[in-house]
Amino acid sequence: MKSVASCVESREYPWVLALGKTCPREHGNGRFGRTCLQWLMARVALFDPCYMSTLRPQDIGFARHILEALGDQVTMIDGRCCGQPAFNSGFHDEARGVGRQLLKAAQPHQVVVTTSGSCTSMVRHYLPTLFEGSRAAGATSIASRFVDFASYLANHPRLDKLTFKLEGVVTYHDSCHSRRELHASGAVKGLLARVDGLEVRPLLYEDECCGFGGTFSVKQPEVSVAMMTSKLDDISLTGARIVVSSDYSCLAHIESGARGIGMQIQGWSLAELLARALS
Amino acid sequence: MSYRERASREMRIERPSATVTPIMRKLVADSEAMLSRGPADARQRAGAARSYAIDHLEELHQQLRGQFERRGIGYHRCVTAEDAVAKVRELLGDAKRVAKSKSMVAEEIGLTHALRAEGIDVLETDIGEYIVDIEGRGPSHITAPALHLNRARIREMLARTGAELPDDDPTRLSRYVRDVVGDFFKDCDAGITGANAVVASSGRITIVENEGNVSLGASHPKLHIAVTGLEKVVADEAAALSILEVLAPSATAQPLTSFSHFLADPMPGQQRHVVFVDGGRSAILTDPRYRDILKCIRCGACMNGCPVYRAAGGLSYGSPYMGPIGAIISPLLWPDGRFADLPFASSLCGRCTESCPVGIPLHRMLLDLRGDAVSGKQAADFKERMAWKGWAASFGGATRARAATALARVGLRTFGRTVRPPGPQRDDPRLLPDPSQEHDPELLLKAADRRSIIPVAAIVEQPPADLPGRFAHRARQLGVEVVTEYESRDGDRVLTAAAGIASTGSVLLTGDQAARRPLLAANRVVVKLAAESIVAYPHNLESHLGDGDALILTGASRTADVEKIIVRGIHGAEDLLVLLD
Repeated sequence: MKSVASCVESREYPWVLALGKTCPREHGNGRFGRTCLQWLMARVALFDPCYMSTLRPQDIGFARHILEALGDQVTMIDGRCCGQPAFNSGFHDEARGVGRQLLKAAQPHQVVVTTSGSCTSMVRHYLPTLFEGSRAAGATSIASRFVDFASYLANHPRLDKLTFKLEGVVTYHDSCHSRRELHASGAVKGLLARVDGLEVRPLLYEDECCGFGGTFSVKQPEVSVAMMTSKLDDISLTGARIVVSSDYSCLAHIESGARGIGMQIQGWSLAELLARALS
Repeated sequence: MSYRERASREMRIERPSATVTPIMRKLVADSEAMLSRGPADARQRAGAARSYAIDHLEELHQQLRGQFERRGIGYHRCVTAEDAVAKVRELLGDAKRVAKSKSMVAEEIGLTHALRAEGIDVLETDIGEYIVDIEGRGPSHITAPALHLNRARIREMLARTGAELPDDDPTRLSRYVRDVVGDFFKDCDAGITGANAVVASSGRITIVENEGNVSLGASHPKLHIAVTGLEKVVADEAAALSILEVLAPSATAQPLTSFSHFLADPMPGQQRHVVFVDGGRSAILTDPRYRDILKCIRCGACMNGCPVYRAAGGLSYGSPYMGPIGAIISPLLWPDGRFADLPFASSLCGRCTESCPVGIPLHRMLLDLRGDAVSGKQAADFKERMAWKGWAASFGGATRARAATALARVGLRTFGRTVRPPGPQRDDPRLLPDPSQEHDPELLLKAADRRSIIPVAAIVEQPPADLPGRFAHRARQLGVEVVTEYESRDGDRVLTAAAGIASTGSVLLTGDQAARRPLLAANRVVVKLAAESIVAYPHNLESHLGDGDALILTGASRTADVEKIIVRGIHGAEDLLVLLD
């Protein structure tokens, strides 16, 4: 049986991060290079994860706005799920069936930007382990085109053309999947540092989980709440009222806990913050 | 009882997090600092040493048998826990008083209870184990058994045995137990210890400890039995040293433990046996998905960093093995389903995998185990299975999925403000998320002042580059005096070191154990060390180890079993002086 633990943690992003820097078809000629680039651009897809379209439908608009401001032509992928909820609960068959739908939808695209770190890591690392033989190879090839929003943006050749300006104070929650599975914390922090007038107050225990963990928050509510409370303590000590993260799943958990105990704290996804800061 | 029931009970009644979380936050930071001292490839080296061991397990055991024969050490291999207990019982013969030191495998096979049931007087000689033995609920951490108890509770526990302690000062508590244990050692028939590694090429047993109780248990009684797991065999001394190089930094943020023993031939008139317990390990070895878990060196780094462990403590796992390693190895060692819910006791944050010094992909194994629990019908009830089938059906096509999310959105908009998540517990403060909630940019400007203290970045220390200078620097950090001349005092014992280690400030003592007895009795130990025999890192020590008994001494005997506060001078001298020439 194939094991999840044997998954390859690839840091290679074919096409995706090389975008515009080197022409993927080795023409060497500027004019052809440009054509190639446009051909690629037309195929940038933006994946709206299922939980975000349920919990925060407006955020995908923010992400799209930023990509279009960068000059990308965006195709939407929605109505799909990476299969992570079932996969993390041990239901691999169900996860495979649902994940296959996403891979099918992503097949024609060379770049699939995903607005959630945990979905990106699910697709890139774990989804291919659910398939056998030639299907696994196909799944790996499609999965490697997925990139999280922050890493895509941070490596975008035209990022310097955008200016971000927003007065205020936020704190940054480093989501576990962005941090440990995708190693994207640096990208997020780099993007936040580009916002003029924004003070980002670091958490004392930035590396600690907020206690969400998908179905973990339902299956082990007591432990999950204890972890969340400790995260809320840390957030409230910074004085900031807004928490920014590249994963809205963590933020939804933090927000729902904060509202429940009467704390005035809002969770903004990176896309929302950047879109509001775009001048 | 399920993990959830145990965890909520612990959190409600014992509140382990209040004691554990602050200790672990500091420990993890210190561990990282200790590992960053290098060598840079320490983790890879340790991981490779363990990989080699599990890939060549039978071969190494074969070789080890020959070496044990040469040295006169008994080799015993037991398939089940019951066999192992029976074997130990048989080896003990008519021994009545047994001093036991820390061993996770002994815990796994329930050795102490089984021997006591046979009327043998077994004393837990590790201070932490002694305390949790009184409490009677087992250890809550692999290396710090009494971590869940604060000093007041420990004083209460000791009072149960009739101890009259005027206060709960950690030094007083630790020394009280030391004295009880010390008295027991004066008249005992056998010592039982664990083993951190057994070296196949030379037949030596590697055991690490801080207090000195293993030194006593392995050298004092006429009989020494080491109980350990089948997988603990390693190829050679270099492999064992590579493991030591990461073990103590990851476990307790020490450069090395105070005592690292390489036990060789038994002393004249002494018997030595090693009992290897299989207990399901061979079965794990045949499953490619999980065999890497046998690389584990039981340092506890995975639980030190684990937010679930910190919140609910180690006893919630209900298994001898707790934390992420416990959540993986418990269902594998006991495949009957009693621990099938442990792999679900994780938010999959990946902290364990990040901190594992031998590179085990712990959180990914949890995912595999969850899959097994579901397909083996050991987890998830009928309702949950139906729910996932329904979920898979609604996300099986885009139109259906869009309809499902729209429906969920409407539901959350309507009820999200008021309804709490499903589950019969009234104290869950969380509300369901509300998709229609507007975010208010005004909040950006409404920040309060920062109330947390931002830690000042530690000054990057620059230890001297030359080996003797670095040795002196590191040794002094451990409270060891390093001098070039000294005035002798009454009660001094003078020993000569075979080598020193610059990165850890340790000295290597070789020669038979009897010659080292003074170490445990003296007021002050003076070790003579030649500057040219100092090596850079522990793994460079191989050529100095000789073929007999060896002991790497790193600072004075100590314990940190009460709230992780260091108390020096347990079984052994409090003062250590190194004479460098």
